Amino acid sequence: MHGSSDRARLWIRVFAAPILLATATIIGLLAALLWGTTGQYVAWVTVGAPVGVVGWVWMRGRSQKNGPILPTIPAK
Amino acid sequence: MRARTVRLWSVVHTWTSLISTLFLLLLCLTGLPLIFHHEIDELLGYAPRPEAHAGAARATPQVVAAAALAADPGRVLQYVSWDKDEPGIVMAFTNGAPDGAPDNATMRAFDAVSAKLLGPVGIGPMLIVLKLHTDMFAGQAGKLFLGTMGLLFAAAIVSGVVLYWPFTRRLRFATIRDSASHRVRWLDWHNLIGVVTLAWALVVGLTGAVNTWAELMLSQWKATELASMVAPYAGKPPPVHLASLDDVVACAKLAAPGTEVAFIAFPGTPFTSSHHFAAFMRGDTALTARLLKPVLLDGETGEVADVRALPLYLQALLISQPLHFGDYGGMPLKVIWAALDGLTIAMIGSGLYLWLGRRRKRRPGRSDAFAGRAPVPS
Repeated sequence: MHGSSDRARLWIRVFAAPILLATATIIGLLAALLWGTTGQYVAWVTVGAPVGVVGWVWMRGRSQKNGPILPTIPAK
Repeated sequence: MRARTVRLWSVVHTWTSLISTLFLLLLCLTGLPLIFHHEIDELLGYAPRPEAHAGAARATPQVVAAAALAADPGRVLQYVSWDKDEPGIVMAFTNGAPDGAPDNATMRAFDAVSAKLLGPVGIGPMLIVLKLHTDMFAGQAGKLFLGTMGLLFAAAIVSGVVLYWPFTRRLRFATIRDSASHRVRWLDWHNLIGVVTLAWALVVGLTGAVNTWAELMLSQWKATELASMVAPYAGKPPPVHLASLDDVVACAKLAAPGTEVAFIAFPGTPFTSSHHFAAFMRGDTALTARLLKPVLLDGETGEVADVRALPLYLQALLISQPLHFGDYGGMPLKVIWAALDGLTIAMIGSGLYLWLGRRRKRRPGRSDAFAGRAPVPS
């Protein structure tokens, strides 16, 4: 019992974000086709979301390597 | 997932990716400038520029047709088309014969108001990029081959999703193990880029494959639907005098209310019979503007012979085109399309790097194929 619920929880943890992004992408791709100008705005956000995620991960990695993005004020 | 299952899916993923890698890189690299082909053509001076005519009446279709024939003496008109996104321009296709080969056709742009010749269209460096992208200069065989590469790409994506579970189930989403080896870092990036772009990559890959079957679908339509549309007129000779294009357009609009003409195929061209004009009508919404409706008209009188919606497979083809090109959501969507294309190049490159690294690692002792990738079987 516990094993299967743990497994389901794990499955959700692994696939929740990818499924969400895939759904957003499909909605965006169809929105621009079906809903005119409003759909275009939806598409920019949802189809652009995967690019945003990759950009965020890249920035996160850089900031971890280089320390905080905002420079600290050196002590006198 | 059992280790054997992981190994099987890994074989599928490796080989579907490897076989298609080179061609996918070609498609991604040529696809990148094609996203911005309008802008690049404009920048390089290959895009026709309509004259400024504030509020002036548009030239009639017959005037444009006459101008097109005058611009290309001794040849015949195949098609006249009106692009919804470029209302100031009318395109005319001329060729040596109505059923002349597409490669022998000349496409020219005319001003929609003055019918003045603006110049040839579909020339310049972007034509080379387009040919590389669509058929690698190998005609129909090249198209079908690239379509098969698109299907392999889809198989690589699906197998990649299956493998995502054993490789990442102990990691938080979007984990990049920066402190681990170079290979593990690249594996993490490969997994992340692959899984976040999977829907877009599947859609673009599959619609690209569908587009390579366009000519086969058209042949099927001609052999079935078009054949039954023109069957009542079997044996009618090609028209001696063509009806005025103005009458043809007016009759087509009456036959399909609420639509406008997207393009007209002249009698004898591959899109119609030897005796009929075919006017392909489009609607005015974002979706119906892409779904064409053919109206068949008598070549001599312009009278409507038949009106039918396109079959589902051709409608699917027409809808698949914008989903492949990414040209239907303004400049921001084009930029996003380019970024996703760039991410796909990074994913293909990282996959190749991981495979090469694994081969190098396996060579000395021929150890387990998965040792270097460290999946976590459940």
